[in-house]
Amino acid sequence: MTEKVAVVGVGHAKFGKRTDVTIRELAHEAVKPALEDASITTAEIDASVIGVAEDVFAAQASPSALIHDYVGMGNKPSFRVEAACATGSAGVRTGWSLIKAGLAEVVLVVGAETMTHVGTPMATEWMARADDTRWEYPFGITFPGLYALMATRHMHEFGTSRMQLSMVSVKSHKYGALNPFAHSQKEVTLNEAMNSVPICQPLNLYDCCLISDGAAAVVMASEERARKISDTPIWITGLGCASDTMMIAERPNLVGLAASQTAADQAYKMAGVTPNDIDVANTHDCFSIAEIMSYEDLGFCKKGEGGKFIEEGQSYIGGKLPVNVDGGLKSKGHPLGATGVSMTVEIVKQLRGEAGKRQVSGAEIGLTHNVGETGQYCFVHVFKR
Amino acid sequence: MKFGHVSWLPQTEVITKLIEGLKQGKLLGTKCSKCGAKYLPPRTQCKCGSHEMEWYEAPTKGKLITYTTVTSPPDSMAKYAPYTVAVAELEDGSRLLAQITGVTPQTLQVGLPVQVVPRQISQDRIAYEFKPLSS
Repeated sequence: MTEKVAVVGVGHAKFGKRTDVTIRELAHEAVKPALEDASITTAEIDASVIGVAEDVFAAQASPSALIHDYVGMGNKPSFRVEAACATGSAGVRTGWSLIKAGLAEVVLVVGAETMTHVGTPMATEWMARADDTRWEYPFGITFPGLYALMATRHMHEFGTSRMQLSMVSVKSHKYGALNPFAHSQKEVTLNEAMNSVPICQPLNLYDCCLISDGAAAVVMASEERARKISDTPIWITGLGCASDTMMIAERPNLVGLAASQTAADQAYKMAGVTPNDIDVANTHDCFSIAEIMSYEDLGFCKKGEGGKFIEEGQSYIGGKLPVNVDGGLKSKGHPLGATGVSMTVEIVKQLRGEAGKRQVSGAEIGLTHNVGETGQYCFVHVFKR
Repeated sequence: MKFGHVSWLPQTEVITKLIEGLKQGKLLGTKCSKCGAKYLPPRTQCKCGSHEMEWYEAPTKGKLITYTTVTSPPDSMAKYAPYTVAVAELEDGSRLLAQITGVTPQTLQVGLPVQVVPRQISQDRIAYEFKPLSS
């Protein structure tokens, strides 16, 4: 049985409003470069794990079966994973598990989602239904609304400011502008970010991630196969996973995600590292407050100091720990099923030194943090060069 | 009678009893006879695995933990917007999410003492909501 599992190939589709494709072509756009990157064909892959969060968005039941077939995986073993916005990372964890269990040596993990095809009102409606439809959705709480509840509380307890929230958005857009795969490739000023349209007070338009279409793919392999396939395998050295209550009102603490803290503890312990060892991270910034809480929950700074962390520029390249320097969910886009795989692609590129203008110099250890809903799912993965 | 501004789920026992209670001005939860866990809103099965649940009357006074004013609602809620959704902690420590009315941007704040009251949304819809506690 293999000791270690590595990512040996990565591919990324252009995120954005992609009315030129359906989910099948979009997935293929990510799979093709992933296979080319690993210099292998589907014939050498033992199984696929396909992550798509929501059938309604794709207007296709079992979109995963469609993708598996369309990318040429033939009659190989396949199944779908779903963990809301953390679907992609559930795929990576599942791929790792298949290889560790000896059920496969090489696995293709694909994350894909089309969200713009149904229009923003329907996308908003279905995302709102990700909260408890019996007891919370009937009051009109939306997905941004749930994070806004946490933002209000965080501001109350720690004095986190409106300006600090907007600073997260300014950073995301700065790096998104440098990422050719990002949905939004334009910088925003602090003034623009602070004065945009209110969505759910205290969050405004620039605090919220984009609704995007996108796909990403990775090829994962056992140690023996990884060393044959790649000169630069990136090892997955730590994995953590946790969950939380369906109803936000049932939680005793609304200034962080308990699942993030638990999953991070597991991943750090397994990898034998501390937050100080992480050189670059992609954390779940579906909303500005989510990125601020992630700094705290993952131990990049103390609880309550996330606002100060962004204000001091600590999450920029050159700061204490660069976070979401691919533009994050905010600027790159957040096609639900694709996001966790996209985060993995970015960290692998960073650790290989292939991130171009966004390269964090000398990065050796990276981290992905992917949250489903408001912590009902959470995955933290540690990667090493 | 249906529960909440928007819902399409079947009228199960918990909804029927909760609505009966609301009509009498009572907020009803359930309590597990085995482990003592209390649930508000109510459940018919406990997280401990037990199905032995009894109804209890929950306190209606509490204070605001957090809130948000929704100006960008889903389609199904558009006719009610803008509205404010809040989480309050009741006197027994349980927490509940609902809309809050009777406040202004000036009076709406964390820690505001509130009361849970029934809210007749339309002829066929009812819910509970928070109102500032009149002193």
